[in-house]
Amino acid sequence: MALCLRRAVSLARCRYSTQTDVSTSTLPKPRIDYRDISENVVYKSHNAFNRKAPISVGAVQDIDRLYRARRELSNTLNSKRHAQSLMGERIRQAGKDVQAKNLALEEAKALKVDVLQLGNQLSGIEDKLLSLALAVPNDTHPLAPLGPESAALELSTHGPDPIPSSPSRDHVSIAHALDLLDLESGATTTGSSWYYLVNEAALLEMALTNYGLSVAIKHGFTPVTTPDVVRSDIAKRCGFHPRDHATDPPVAQMYHLSGSADPSSSSHPELVLAGTAEIPLAGMFANKVFEVKQLPRKVVGLGRAFRAEAGARGADTRGLYRVHQFTKLELFAVTEAHKSEELMEELREVQVEIFDGLGFPFRVLDMPSEELGASAYRKYDMEAWMPGRGSWGEISSTSNCTDYQARRLHIRYRPNPPPSSDPEPPSSQSSGLPFAHTLNGTAVAVPRLIVALLENGARFNETGDVVGLNLPSVLKPFWLGNNGRRNIVQWT
Amino acid sequence: MALRLRRAVSLARRSGRCRYSTQADVSTSTLSKPRIDYRDISENVVYKSHNAFNRKAPIPVGAVQDIDRLYRARRELSNTLNSKRHAQSLMGERIRQAGKDVQAKNLALEEAKALKADVLQLGNQLSGIEDKLLSLALAVPNDTHPLAPLGPESAALELSTHGPDPIPSSPSRDHVSIAHALDLLDLESGATTTGSSWYYLVNEAALLEMALTNYGLSVAIKHGFTPVTTPDVVRSDIAKRCGFHPRDHATDPPVAQMYHLSGSADPSSSSHPELVLAGTAEIPLAGMFANKVFDVKQLPRKVVGLGRAFRAEAGARGADTRGLYRVHQFTKLELFAVTEAHKSEELMEELREIQVEIFDGLGLPFRVLDMPSEELGASAYRKYDMEAWMPGRGSWGEISSTSNCTDYQARRLHIRYRPNPPPSSDSEPPSPQSSGLPFAHTLNGTAVAVPRLIVALLENGARFNETGDVVGLSLPSVLKPFWLGNGRRNIVQWTRLHDALSQDSV
Repeated sequence: MALCLRRAVSLARCRYSTQTDVSTSTLPKPRIDYRDISENVVYKSHNAFNRKAPISVGAVQDIDRLYRARRELSNTLNSKRHAQSLMGERIRQAGKDVQAKNLALEEAKALKVDVLQLGNQLSGIEDKLLSLALAVPNDTHPLAPLGPESAALELSTHGPDPIPSSPSRDHVSIAHALDLLDLESGATTTGSSWYYLVNEAALLEMALTNYGLSVAIKHGFTPVTTPDVVRSDIAKRCGFHPRDHATDPPVAQMYHLSGSADPSSSSHPELVLAGTAEIPLAGMFANKVFEVKQLPRKVVGLGRAFRAEAGARGADTRGLYRVHQFTKLELFAVTEAHKSEELMEELREVQVEIFDGLGFPFRVLDMPSEELGASAYRKYDMEAWMPGRGSWGEISSTSNCTDYQARRLHIRYRPNPPPSSDPEPPSSQSSGLPFAHTLNGTAVAVPRLIVALLENGARFNETGDVVGLNLPSVLKPFWLGNNGRRNIVQWT
Repeated sequence: MALRLRRAVSLARRSGRCRYSTQADVSTSTLSKPRIDYRDISENVVYKSHNAFNRKAPIPVGAVQDIDRLYRARRELSNTLNSKRHAQSLMGERIRQAGKDVQAKNLALEEAKALKADVLQLGNQLSGIEDKLLSLALAVPNDTHPLAPLGPESAALELSTHGPDPIPSSPSRDHVSIAHALDLLDLESGATTTGSSWYYLVNEAALLEMALTNYGLSVAIKHGFTPVTTPDVVRSDIAKRCGFHPRDHATDPPVAQMYHLSGSADPSSSSHPELVLAGTAEIPLAGMFANKVFDVKQLPRKVVGLGRAFRAEAGARGADTRGLYRVHQFTKLELFAVTEAHKSEELMEELREIQVEIFDGLGLPFRVLDMPSEELGASAYRKYDMEAWMPGRGSWGEISSTSNCTDYQARRLHIRYRPNPPPSSDSEPPSPQSSGLPFAHTLNGTAVAVPRLIVALLENGARFNETGDVVGLSLPSVLKPFWLGNGRRNIVQWTRLHDALSQDSV
């Protein structure tokens, strides 16, 4: 497998000092396409509104205005600089003509002041432009439904017919009856919505991750284990907001590590616990330029997702449905721009294969505009039927982020040169290279799948007590077994 | 499998109606103060002092004597207080008996008032002494096994060696070079995404993490350990009760060994207890047994927990922090056990056997060391470390550590058991008071520390071609049943035990 193109330092001779590698790990500012915004103000404004993006009214028009002002200012600055460059010659040519010389020196001084002032103005405009543009959400796929979560479009359903909902199928009851889940110790050790998986539930975590990995690997995804701590900056560039500023006071969605919250200190960048392996996986591709033949890059990453879930209430936070930490296997891909829609369908196929094998009823939804967040151009969610909860519950989410993350993380590629009689030398400037498209999707979110498997697969005796579990036989090759201390699993 | 005995609320009646509110479950999760055996310290001042010195425990000189002094003062004070209270209880009668005798009545009232002031004052003094006692006693390290060697790390005693003869050390066997040549490790992206000593395992290294954890789990399960997955965030208080110090106060300024979560560092706020990232799954595993009383027939409790270990590793320098040897996060499979006091030494040998079986299967040269007094930390009574030969590093490197913490953690986490009543003709009813029940003994040991084993496997198992380039890996066949396979290339050869030597001939 060809190593992806890396920076100047040859990897074979890489040594990593114990100092924080600041210089290689601070990314340049995101490269937003201001012209695209300026030329599509109406679309971008409506799109931001439809997506309920947290940007101010008129922000898109401001970007257009600032973009054009910047262009003018930039032109003015350039002509002033050009005039400045001619001053040296004029001063020389003035020779002994003191009056002419003084005039020239005055002009040069004035030009210098102008250039400085214009430079500052330009800098200020660029900062403002970037700040506004970063808040503009990605475009939306024309086929994505419009509206809130309820407007989602069911694309397909899979698996057996959903069995009737029933409180006896509540996964918490089943888990307690079979000694599979310890929420009480989680509360003692850490707090509410923290937990231990015990016995067959722990075996299920192993089997599900191994199974999901094997399917993804079969489809050409490179297996990777990810760090669970990431720079807050990287999370933001992926489109995540560590704090939900819509609330007052702002509510933390991610856990921050203390002693790391000094953003001005480059030696102690702000660190957070990753809310999804999507973030460290995206980080693997930051600041890279790929050859087309190296694309698509497809990785499947095993990580833990940490979520503060502030504000979550009710039935969701009971049991395993919404917890603060869980193991998640994530698909991530980098591809040429025109191939991302095709790759999204491939991710969907991989996930459908994984869940088909698990044998519970599930459906694929095309998510509507208000559910797309900041980064997704299009999003498919998958939901499993959970008879104990009496509803469909999300088990997977897949997004095509097009160039939203790539522009912020600087992920580019060298397209194939167009066929032409006089071959142009490939542009060595990376600034002109197109941005790649990135995609991500959940392969396995362990607790959600455990909820679905327990609620669909619990076996009861005549008196209505739960006595065992029916589990899908795709997991059997990955089943470690409980040493014969008990045998509650039947394979279906 | 019988559910272990839990606190007052019966689990069977709660199942189906368990509700966990979104509020921090403070009342059930705040543990009472640790129960240190002050009398034991008081009766063994010389031993405890010498022991603390031998272990280089961070307690002030004379602290043990202070404990003895305070313990005896507390006892006297307690006696005085009790007699004053007794006198107080008699005052009511005396006042009544004074009847219409105003002078006698006033005298009695005066006395009662004086007694009340005394009782209050003595009560405060006693409280102050108890706080001081606890604070000093918590810093006293566990006792030390008589056979544990005395001294620093270099005094460790080699108990046994296993596996093939160590191959000669060689820079070409450096695991970082091998990993880069085979595209197994991404440290550069780790630096970009997080910082130095953060990393991604890629390709066969990722498969090795899966295979090693599955393999380790299967061995532990076979030996009767219950599989468990653990939370990686724990209350700082729980970590301290296990014997871990989130900050190393020996340095100036104190250096954080654990990562703290911000917004949680207000110790006075019970609704936002201080949270840290666990430095080892030992901590959340110990937390599973906190505040519990077991019946003897429920012991030993043996669990094997899969978790991530997060370590700030502040102050670590040099070759250690290069590559995978000392990193900030790694996956670790941990054995943990709770047992009756007189059975802990036997159980330590059982843990050792399991670990030897795991590492024997991996075909690595390794040795078992009885760790000396200065390496025992706060909680261990005895500690065995295991080290694998790492030819790229040119030294033995720790792959496992096992401790018998006797009652050190149990006293702090309140883990007790009801011993079998002694055989007796007049059967005594079992004491319902848990305050008199003995504390259990806890043990812990590393089953699989993923990066250390990857270092050992890469450095011992790399295969080279004639020109000295690394072209593949020989891996132990015990991992094959757990190998997911990479489909796109085949760089792995499976070897039986002791085949590694012959593979090294090129």
